Amino acid sequence: MKMSSARYLAASERSAFLPGQSSAIRFFFAAVLTLAVAFSTGAMPAFGQAAASDVRRHVETLASDEFEGRLTGSEGAALAADYIIGQLRSMGAVPLPGQASFRLPFEIISGVNDTGSSLTLRGEASDQDFDVQGADQVQGLTFSDNGEVSGAVVFAGYGITVPESQGYPYDSYANLDVEDKVVLVLRYSPEEVERETQAILSGYSNLRYKAMRARELGAKALLVVTGPRSLNAGKIVPMRFDSAAAGSGIVAASISGEVAAKIFEAVPNGSLEQIQEELDAGNRDATGFSIPGLELTLSVEVERESATGYNVVGHLPASNETTAIPPIKPYVILGAHYDHLGRGGFGNSLARGDEIGEIHHGADDNASGVAAVLNAGAALAGMKRDRAVVLAFWSGEEMGVLGSSAFVEDPPVPMDEVIGYINFDMVGRVVDNKLTVQAVGSSAVWPRLMEQSNVPVGFDLQIQEDPYLPTDSSSFNNSGVPNLSMFTGTHADYHRPADSPERINYEGLEAVARFGALIGYHLANLGEAPAFVQVERSPGQQAGERDAARAWTGTIPDFGGEVEGLRLGGVMEGGPAEEAGLQKGDVIVEFAGQQVTNIYDYTYALETVKVDEPIKVVYLRDGERHETVLTPRARQ
Amino acid sequence: MVTRSVYVVLFVALCLSFAGLPVQEAEGQSSGQQVGEAPEYDESVLLSRVRQLTLEGNRAGEGYFSPDGTQMVFQSEREAGNPFFQIYVMDMLTGETRRISPGQGKTTCAFFHPVTGDIEFASTHHDPLSLEMQREELEFRASGQEHRNAWDYDPEMEIYVADADTGELTRLTNVRGYDAEGSYSPDGEWIVFASTRDAYGRELTPEEQQAMETDASYFSEIYTMRADGSEQTRLTHVPGYDGGPFFSPDGKKIVWRRFQENGMLADVWTMDLDGSNQRQITDFGAMSWAPYTHPSGEYIFFSSNKYGFANFEVFIVDFDGKKEPVRVTTTDGFDGLPVPTPDGKQLVWTSTRYGATARQTGQLFIGNWNHEKALELLEQAPPRKSSSDSR
Repeated sequence: MKMSSARYLAASERSAFLPGQSSAIRFFFAAVLTLAVAFSTGAMPAFGQAAASDVRRHVETLASDEFEGRLTGSEGAALAADYIIGQLRSMGAVPLPGQASFRLPFEIISGVNDTGSSLTLRGEASDQDFDVQGADQVQGLTFSDNGEVSGAVVFAGYGITVPESQGYPYDSYANLDVEDKVVLVLRYSPEEVERETQAILSGYSNLRYKAMRARELGAKALLVVTGPRSLNAGKIVPMRFDSAAAGSGIVAASISGEVAAKIFEAVPNGSLEQIQEELDAGNRDATGFSIPGLELTLSVEVERESATGYNVVGHLPASNETTAIPPIKPYVILGAHYDHLGRGGFGNSLARGDEIGEIHHGADDNASGVAAVLNAGAALAGMKRDRAVVLAFWSGEEMGVLGSSAFVEDPPVPMDEVIGYINFDMVGRVVDNKLTVQAVGSSAVWPRLMEQSNVPVGFDLQIQEDPYLPTDSSSFNNSGVPNLSMFTGTHADYHRPADSPERINYEGLEAVARFGALIGYHLANLGEAPAFVQVERSPGQQAGERDAARAWTGTIPDFGGEVEGLRLGGVMEGGPAEEAGLQKGDVIVEFAGQQVTNIYDYTYALETVKVDEPIKVVYLRDGERHETVLTPRARQ
Repeated sequence: MVTRSVYVVLFVALCLSFAGLPVQEAEGQSSGQQVGEAPEYDESVLLSRVRQLTLEGNRAGEGYFSPDGTQMVFQSEREAGNPFFQIYVMDMLTGETRRISPGQGKTTCAFFHPVTGDIEFASTHHDPLSLEMQREELEFRASGQEHRNAWDYDPEMEIYVADADTGELTRLTNVRGYDAEGSYSPDGEWIVFASTRDAYGRELTPEEQQAMETDASYFSEIYTMRADGSEQTRLTHVPGYDGGPFFSPDGKKIVWRRFQENGMLADVWTMDLDGSNQRQITDFGAMSWAPYTHPSGEYIFFSSNKYGFANFEVFIVDFDGKKEPVRVTTTDGFDGLPVPTPDGKQLVWTSTRYGATARQTGQLFIGNWNHEKALELLEQAPPRKSSSDSR
């Protein structure tokens, strides 16, 4: 497999220098030369100035208050789509073949509410009878099925089953029969086990995973309580917006500590707190038990609001009329998501204090990417191309790459006709002339195209092979399309209202657009289609969904550059990392007793830390090793 | 364990010589990075807007410019099927790259003719065994082994010149022995190069025979010839590897590096075109090599492992070697083979600063060069110390 793809590539590389290509290349460079010279000398000709002012206009418009943070499905997003369509029209782009409109709709879940869940207990003794409703006592989990179920109650500890493959046998359901029963479990994972054990257990503590496990075992319903010894003790699980909120096939609800205590009155020996204490110590024999003499009826009513998101997609048809043979894979796609967080009401906002509820402008995330694609598109519109260039503007990215996923699942152009996808997500904060290019491992063609494209642009490129990224390029990687993603690094304003247009480096952004346009141009004129390379996922990425880390450290990872360790792109003001003396540029090599060689190690290490429990951090600053103590706090 | 064989890996080759190094580099990084005094400044004093110029393939190095600076010729391993360097020309305005060597066998050390734009380089493609050697090397790599010596001073290496218009090759040397590391005089009339021809076609002493078996570069000496290959003349006669020669910008001197007989220590030297007036310019008691003169003629770039066995850094030294050299690069990893652009305003060099693996053994980097600051620092530099003073 590898061998054949290598040969394929070798052929494609050679063919790029065939005489047939050279005229197009020469034509193109007439245009690029002016730009290149302009960039290096600072004497900007009219065209260059127009290009730089264009990116500024795009960002300032899209990130203005009027667009209200461009939340998917909102009026602000519709305005953004209108603006983008206007730009597409003015550069001569048309809707995709077979599409009447630039707008391509897809369905999303835009919100979820509990509309009246309730719980009833009937015991052998009448004083056990208990009826409760109200969101502060019983509330459906976002992914719950609706319905009413009754059954005996089984307590199943933390409700965690670790697969055998993990080499750490742990099963809350060992020796329990939960078929047709209501299962009650603790939220999170055991609190006092060793860090490594906790890292394993927390990997299976996600509530969806717990619900799936209960369903597999035949349970009728899952009840979750936040244990008295845990953070947020006794509190209901908030109805976080969950974009993938389709039903989980089981009725599932969160109950208050009060309700749980009522249920535990039926347990003869021991309170929930005592039982949790034993579980928290990591005692694997301390499994669950049936709660005698209780019949529990749970009724869950969860209402999901659906909405329509719109990708905006146009294309610039191939412009080389003289090409006798149609090219292999006749589409190049450049894309950027145009949605952002609105006012940040859906859980992934990092707004603090006074900022909460303000418009999240998303100038860098990702008005900058939209501006880059629009500028690149305008440049490509005037170049001779053997292939069509598709300009795609995704919605629903912040909710989990929903727009691009919908696009590749039901593709308006077949995915095997796409030679490559180039993504732009957060490209407005060029610092020190650095541009990070990610997913380079997805095809062997990228280094050559980047080398060639960067000579006239001159970025200090930071190359990353990994294509498993939290952005739209992953949708194309999943579809076997060679893909790249441009990124200028995260920052303290990330997912906060302060991500505003005046903090954008417009000269840098214009250069990103030019670099992207050049790669797109070379891709559009390649004689052969480069092979897709399936990059193996690292073990840290395979662990699957995890409950969001509860402890807050205030570190901002720098995703650029593949250093040994985790380089900090910054620290949050007043956060634990800042208090510990960490600063931008420090490279964390050990965190809470674990070696850190990459961001996955770091993520893994993060899951083991606890609120208010100091941990040792070893880091490199200017090549020297330092140690400090960081005390994580509860996430606000 | 510091043995000769380790060093052999280090100076495997070339006009300036670079191959196989980063395997050692990786080992060296954990230990002696901080050896020696750190400079009081950061490299950003002399270099700005530093960036990686070549990205494709396993490795690239030895970039030299056409007189107008619009083209750069370099060597790179970047095509499937050939694990050895081939010669490429990059258009510095468009980024377009084309191969100008035959694609078969080994090549090295290209240089633009300053007038015609022809390109000289050394190649083994005429050797009937060259394809066999490519296959062997690829099989060797596939077996997962690491090289101890990637550059073998192949006696089939001969100097060719590729016509600027037609690409047609003309062979200039025809003597058994490694003929390579060539470069043109500023007027284009002459080529200075290195050759091991002295070791072939005569009986070797037992000592020489042993040197031949461990490291054939021992026999390398500096020669000149006319641009058409005539008048091949030997200039140096000192045992040990003399190589990497270039003309000074005024065409009056030859700058090269001379290894001591033990093959471990090297210094930058200058001499007149007839081989007279040989003068030692550096004296670190380290491996100081890869000299190339700034177009102003004021100072010579070179690289040295003064600050740690595997930590090569770029330095400059005044052309007469009267003062202590000034350190240029301050970044971890290999930094060497420095070559300025013809206008003297940029520097291209080979670096592993963005990481090196067994195969990824350095790529070309480029940065803006602060000539005025360089002159200032050289002016302030103390008189040159002798390596024997500190030992």
